[in-house]
Amino acid sequence: MRHIRRAFSVSTFDEVIVLKGYLKYYGKRIMWYVLTLVVAVFLNFLLPRLMPGDPVQQLAAQATAGSTDPTVYLKTVEQYTKEFGLDKSLPEQFFIYVGNIFQGNLGTSLSKYPRTVTDILGGSIGWTLALQIPGIIVGWFLGNLLGAIAAYIRKSIDTVVLPIFMFISNMPAFGLAFIMIFIFSNKLGIAPSGGGYAYDLVPNFSMEFVGSVLKYYQMPFWTMVLISIGGQAIGMRSMSIYELNADYVKYSRFLGIKDHKIVMYVFRNAMLPQITGLAMSFGTMIGGNLVAEMVYSYPGIGTTMFQAINTRDYPLLSGCTLLITIMVLIANLVVEILYGVVDPRVKAAQMETE
Amino acid sequence: MGKVMLEVNDLKTKYVTRFKEDVYAVDGVSLKIEEGKSLGVAGESGCGKSTLALSLIGYYFAPLHYMSGEIIIDGQNISGMKPDEVRKKVLGTEVAYIPQAAMNALNPTQKIIRFIEDVIQVHDKSLSKKDIYDMAVERFRILGLPPEVLQKHAVELSGGMKQRTVIAISTILSPKVLIADEPSSALDVTSQKMVIKMMRELMEKGFIKSMIFITHELPLLYNVTDDIMVMYAGQIVEHGTAKEMVFDPVHPYSKGLMGSIIVPEEGTRDVQLEAIPGTPPNLKHPPDGCRFAPRCKYAKPECKVYDVPEKEFEGHRMYRCIYDVDYLKEAYGRNG
Repeated sequence: MRHIRRAFSVSTFDEVIVLKGYLKYYGKRIMWYVLTLVVAVFLNFLLPRLMPGDPVQQLAAQATAGSTDPTVYLKTVEQYTKEFGLDKSLPEQFFIYVGNIFQGNLGTSLSKYPRTVTDILGGSIGWTLALQIPGIIVGWFLGNLLGAIAAYIRKSIDTVVLPIFMFISNMPAFGLAFIMIFIFSNKLGIAPSGGGYAYDLVPNFSMEFVGSVLKYYQMPFWTMVLISIGGQAIGMRSMSIYELNADYVKYSRFLGIKDHKIVMYVFRNAMLPQITGLAMSFGTMIGGNLVAEMVYSYPGIGTTMFQAINTRDYPLLSGCTLLITIMVLIANLVVEILYGVVDPRVKAAQMETE
Repeated sequence: MGKVMLEVNDLKTKYVTRFKEDVYAVDGVSLKIEEGKSLGVAGESGCGKSTLALSLIGYYFAPLHYMSGEIIIDGQNISGMKPDEVRKKVLGTEVAYIPQAAMNALNPTQKIIRFIEDVIQVHDKSLSKKDIYDMAVERFRILGLPPEVLQKHAVELSGGMKQRTVIAISTILSPKVLIADEPSSALDVTSQKMVIKMMRELMEKGFIKSMIFITHELPLLYNVTDDIMVMYAGQIVEHGTAKEMVFDPVHPYSKGLMGSIIVPEEGTRDVQLEAIPGTPPNLKHPPDGCRFAPRCKYAKPECKVYDVPEKEFEGHRMYRCIYDVDYLKEAYGRNG
């Protein structure tokens, strides 16, 4: 107990300064994130409105199909335009949009009228998070492990296994998804080809349903994992080779520290820059993994977004993109904070920005 | 004569390059250090000083390989031991090493105390973290290092502090032989002085029993060590006390090395600086005969043919040259 107190007392003053610097640094960072979010919201609002095609006309045409009276069609168009607020000017629409966001109101879906966007997204976000976060993290971890092993052992792992994963990594996610479906569903017949759970089930917490979800989960999950292994492994490999030749490795050896302990030092230090890779995986999620969701008709954001694009459902589409933006920003912020906590060098650099 | 702490007999080690070529970096080195004494090793870059340091530790891993010879530390021959045995029984307690680039010798993401725990636990698993902490604080205090350093990461320390911390960590298990490979070369003069002071204290307080100090700075050696040994192309060319080696070197190479020291005196700026012409030989294919012959201004044709044995003179000094001592001393007199 005494030594703990002593250990603390020597640096209490320092700790306070460090804490202050920390808060200041992250305060600044969070401000930047907020600014990014504002820009994202603006683009989110603007871009779908610049897309060609008038969804209201399409919707009205669907609603009045079969009617021979042209005035009914025109009236429907007018009614929808008013309901969606499209009769107002763009700046006006923007402020209404922002105001609504703060109330958690992302508008009404056009294609799934009258369901609200919040409602639809609420139904799919859980699926996406449950798939993407474990998928990315497991892929990242396995990739790092493979990279470290390739650097340490070399031989066949370095010359055969790693290139195979590199090859897989460079495929687009939806391409890999097709290949996976072809092999595991068509040829081997051991995995369902798509969906989040069996069609004849109603979502609940029974054993049967959870089992079904887990079964349907495997294919999209392993697609995400396989896609990310190669890219992470190649980075980790070169970082590990660099670290294995570092002076501290030699010095530790000459002080008699066991090799497996030194490997732990190296693994930890080489892994740190890889945290950036993790942040990037979250960033590139939209391009790859969400598209793969569509191939599997997995009931997540990716599929929802795909449907929204197809039906020119722009409230839903901008809801999706807004949600993804927020998710990526949060992921990046968390990674950045994590980085500062685990790496004293980065912590020092963060303090120095003042 | 005190107890012999380190005795090395005809040690040979080599590097094996990526293309399976052998580089004989330490080629038949013998030396002896008594308890409480220190030995300085001097030479140009690439003459095998650092390799000698690594070889003396007795813990070899690629690309360095042990060939032949004996390393006896306090009566115990460590050259025949298995690597794992060396790691447990020798490293840290018998021999300790201070690396050339202490700047990067510490794991950047580890607190100093955590590393000390790891080092101590290799040899003694029974010690608790508290014991180790108390031990480290005590040792740091004696050596004049602030104990706060223990709770810091390497990045938070200045260069001089990092170097002194590395020295303190290397010697925490009170090794019998300390091998310091250019411990002060990268430091400014004040930090250098502190490092030297610390090395002396280690010896005076008995934390180390003997020391090998490797450097290219000869004036430094004169102030730090008892004996000086000059190395050239993997071999010892001259060995004597510090005073003799600095003021009365015999071998043409040692003479040239001492002559290359730049002393800040009136008029040195205008004087043409003298350096030994040429560079050390490639040790993949060491030259026949005397290795220094291609650069030596006194070389005769037979120098390049016959191997030159080590010769003793004045009872305790040693040199490696075809000429007699008297002739060499006279030759210097003639040529100024």
